[in-house]
Amino acid sequence: MCSMSYIELHCHSAYSFLDGASQPEELVAAALSRGHSALALTDHDSLSGSMEFAQAAKALGLRAIHGAEVTLDDGRHITLLVSDETGWRNLCRLLTVAHAHTRDGPQRDRSDPAVALEDVERHGEGLVCLSGCAARGVRDEPTMRRLIAIFGRERLRVELQRPLARHDRALNRGLVALAGRLGIATVATGNVHAHKAERALLQDALVAIANHTTLDACEPLRRGNHAHVLSTPRAMAARFADHPEAVAETQRLAERLTFDLTSDLGYRYPGAEDAGADRALAEVCQARFDERYPPGSKHRAHAAARLEEELRVIDGLGLAGFFLLHREILELAREVAVQVRGRGGARSLLPPGRGRGSSVSSIVCHLTGLSHVDPIANKLLLGRFLNEELTALPDIDLDFPRDIREVLIPRIHEVYGRERSALVAAFPTYRARGAIRELGKALGLPPGEIERVARGSEGWSARDVHRDIDSALGEGRRTGRWAWLARLAAEAQGLPRHLSQHSGGMIVATRPLVDCVPLVPAAMEGRQLAQWDKDSCSDAGFLKIDLLGLGMLSAVERCVEHVAVRRGECIDLSRIAFDDRATYECIQNADTTGVFQIESRAQMGSLRRTRPETLDDLTVQVAIVRPGPIVGGAVNPYIERRQRLRADPGYEVPYMHSSLQAPLRDTLGTIIFQDQVLEVAQAFAGFSVGEAEGLRRAMSRKRSAEAIEAHHRRFVQGATSLHPDVTEELAEQVFQMVSGFSGFGFPKAHGAAFGLLAYQSTWLRVHYGPEFLCSLLDEQPMGFYPPDALVHEAQRRGIEILAPDVNASAAGCEVTAGGAVRIGLGYVLGVRADEIAALVGAREAGGPFASLEDLGSRAGAGRPALERLAWAGACDALTGGDRRVALWQLGVAASAVNVRGREGTQLALALDLPAAPTLKALPAWEAMIADYATTGLTATTHPIGLLRSRLDGEGAVGIDALSRLAHGAQVRVGGLVVARQRPGTAKGVLFLLLEDEHGTVNVVVSPQVYERHRLAVRTEPLLLVEGRLERHASAGGAINVLARRVVRLQVPDRIAADVKDISPLDEAELARQAEIASAATGTDDFRAVAPAVQSFAAGRRR
Amino acid sequence: MPRQAAVESDAAGQPLSVDGEDVDAVRESWLVEDRWWTDQPLRRRYWEVVTTGGRNVVVYRDLVEQGWHRHA
Repeated sequence: MCSMSYIELHCHSAYSFLDGASQPEELVAAALSRGHSALALTDHDSLSGSMEFAQAAKALGLRAIHGAEVTLDDGRHITLLVSDETGWRNLCRLLTVAHAHTRDGPQRDRSDPAVALEDVERHGEGLVCLSGCAARGVRDEPTMRRLIAIFGRERLRVELQRPLARHDRALNRGLVALAGRLGIATVATGNVHAHKAERALLQDALVAIANHTTLDACEPLRRGNHAHVLSTPRAMAARFADHPEAVAETQRLAERLTFDLTSDLGYRYPGAEDAGADRALAEVCQARFDERYPPGSKHRAHAAARLEEELRVIDGLGLAGFFLLHREILELAREVAVQVRGRGGARSLLPPGRGRGSSVSSIVCHLTGLSHVDPIANKLLLGRFLNEELTALPDIDLDFPRDIREVLIPRIHEVYGRERSALVAAFPTYRARGAIRELGKALGLPPGEIERVARGSEGWSARDVHRDIDSALGEGRRTGRWAWLARLAAEAQGLPRHLSQHSGGMIVATRPLVDCVPLVPAAMEGRQLAQWDKDSCSDAGFLKIDLLGLGMLSAVERCVEHVAVRRGECIDLSRIAFDDRATYECIQNADTTGVFQIESRAQMGSLRRTRPETLDDLTVQVAIVRPGPIVGGAVNPYIERRQRLRADPGYEVPYMHSSLQAPLRDTLGTIIFQDQVLEVAQAFAGFSVGEAEGLRRAMSRKRSAEAIEAHHRRFVQGATSLHPDVTEELAEQVFQMVSGFSGFGFPKAHGAAFGLLAYQSTWLRVHYGPEFLCSLLDEQPMGFYPPDALVHEAQRRGIEILAPDVNASAAGCEVTAGGAVRIGLGYVLGVRADEIAALVGAREAGGPFASLEDLGSRAGAGRPALERLAWAGACDALTGGDRRVALWQLGVAASAVNVRGREGTQLALALDLPAAPTLKALPAWEAMIADYATTGLTATTHPIGLLRSRLDGEGAVGIDALSRLAHGAQVRVGGLVVARQRPGTAKGVLFLLLEDEHGTVNVVVSPQVYERHRLAVRTEPLLLVEGRLERHASAGGAINVLARRVVRLQVPDRIAADVKDISPLDEAELARQAEIASAATGTDDFRAVAPAVQSFAAGRRR
Repeated sequence: MPRQAAVESDAAGQPLSVDGEDVDAVRESWLVEDRWWTDQPLRRRYWEVVTTGGRNVVVYRDLVEQGWHRHA
């Protein structure tokens, strides 16, 4: 038997979610190393991994065959393989049909895809059908005869598998007999699920996860052995020694399956082939030119030259249709904006969206409305976005307020057709925490301990879970199931877990997209997804339009509305004063909590040093706290030079070479922006625009050492030959500066767009503080700080915050006539939006509630909702300010009050409740716990304020007192953790932002201290920190505490206010919360309700 | 309960004789790999054979301990 005659035609990757255990490229590499010349990828009802597979195979020299294992509506499987382009189109359409009704349930939960044989019949051309796997394949004669009718005997094979399970030889003997009776050939396949033996173990665990059970409990569901690991052709041929014809058939069949996914799929975007597009685009630009650059204006001549140049480049690249398409979508957004905002409202003055990213540098984008930033006035160079040597489509990213984006996406589906438009998919992958939780459960480890390890984990690589286990549970867990957890998690790292939605990428096409890639319904109604992620879409040549939802845009629009309602002022944010002194004072003092981009702990530290004075400075500012400038060593030189220039306007900025003056003048000789990499490469090393862009790409995320090295040699050579005074040593130094930047930074155009929004949001905060806070609170989640911290900071600025009140609050937050911010009833967790609407409606219709009885009879909300409102203090005004009285009375009232039935709210008789017995008032600590448990924030006393006397006893000082202490003083500070960060650029140093009733302070935790107190640092919401106070003039006087010891802040004994016990809300959820709460540190009631804060790079977590 | 068996096998592990009786034919062969996460992992290669005496016998090689066993 020829060992090479076997071709594997049935193989699953991890895109058979929770079934396959290997990445496509791992399968490709393993196949080559085991002597395969070709391999078919046949994931379950999905082509999500196909492009990745095709690209990896092409790069490494394996022939890729495409297909899918398709589920029939009776649960059986068939394996479909693509022979040609028609087959690919049909498979994409068939899988689209399979998924069409997978989100039809009331909650749009995902159900299993399936197709009827009639669907297969409609889409069978160009496909070869195998009869399916050993476990669930087709093996009855009537169905096989139907398949013959669809595919003919030429394109149908009886599939033989040998999973080394009991009875599979008998099964194969039966299948061979069936094939003989039907006159069709057999073919052998391996049903591969892993590329190496270690992943076969993981595959067992994935089966347990998929079935929500443990390894111990799912034996019948697992494969029983590891024969599904990709083997050698020789071994597979030996496994099928009884069926040599079936082995030989693999080769014969593979030769017919010639479809190449890396070839042109025929995708075109609308307008791509419009011969008149160049003229149309020029006309659109000219029509707006005089308005933007009127005759006699300062930049008119420059702008005209730039427009001519841009239109010439666009014409040369054939991209006019690309710009017109983006404009068309923006015009669509304009219609949507009118619908969402209304015609005459305060928001109607605002554009529907705005550009971000490098496209902001284009005057064509500016004139077509795709960018709100004037590239000429802001001195934005075009090269990064558009140049004659472009080889891929440029990116135009558009930001929209969330409400506009929500309506715009389904509108695009309507306008371009559901077959021709789709969102781009994303695939969340296994990282440490998810792997610990899911694999730990599969291994049957104690839930409390799993949660403790997960919470203590660094959160990124699942390859270091052994360290997380050591750290959380001690070093005694290095054997048995804990050791397996570490091993399995390391294997799972990076594997896709399920299909999700990209943040905003959308594809539109002239031909049906379903001919190129399967489309599936998204979780949100009215949206659909392509089965490919952005990389696969890019590899396919698809144009991705990014329609991003930007929370701050929504917040500023909401703020403008609040201002109009309360003060009758109509604000046009494009015409506000951009040199407002009060605004810049706040920015320079880092008084920026809540504003866009420049509010984070790191940004605040930087603001005190850079002290921005203009929009240009803010353009730099938003770009400076990025890995590129930090790793590239630009930040400190920039800040120091800025400080020296401020002290001495005659200070001469040093440049490494005179040719760098022009490109680096705005950033004082340092590289802050991506475009400067291009400019330096051109001015210093003589690169063309395209070569410089190639260098930037080589240094971007997918860094290639060889590619960078090629650019390196060319750079040094170019610089020394272009400039007689440049030595090789100097050229190397400049290259190090360039390569240090590495691409993790903003283009200047993006900095300008974001800097402008940073200014606008700060301006609103300064002049309309209560309205701005209201808007932030109602647009959560967004920004760096949780609502609790935003409220506390506003209180410190003198803004009064009023708790939710059933007689005063609306659903959202509002500014009162007196300028206080009233928290909306929507903030009370566990009360549904329709219940709030009914309550507010009843109040507006029938007047304020006179008593709890009245509330109970008119509110239209169920007992759980009323209890949550009472716990939140929203009923305090009805009971003399005592939550316990309210709860006692509700307990009586709710048993008799209205019940919402099918016919709507049932009217209830007025009740005459008995007076409550004498109840002890709710202690302050318990009221605070109840605030957090019900609204996620407290507007009364800060938790640290309640612990102040204890902290005083321990010698701790308030954060306000730190400013009065000298540099170097030993201090002890207690605080609520507002953020935890451990930037990759900080060499293991961790930063905590602590808050008490007086303010916030930055705590610096060295790697040594972190290792000693890791669990407290990572998981405790209330901390006591001992350390050294640091205050440097060069840091603008900012205070840090360099921690020596970090411990959990012990809360005094008290009676806990258990808001959960009396609520009949979802018991399973409460049990889950209780388990999580008790898992980490016992029964501390505060940790269970502490606000979710920025936790490392994982967003807000509790 | 399985008991120890004297099995001669070829290079591929296929039984040639079981407890002194030659093997006439192999009916089935399967592999069990399970409970690897416990203290008692299971790795067994099973063979269902027909001996020259006409008996149907199921034997397995324990791939952890390397011994042969037969089911009664």
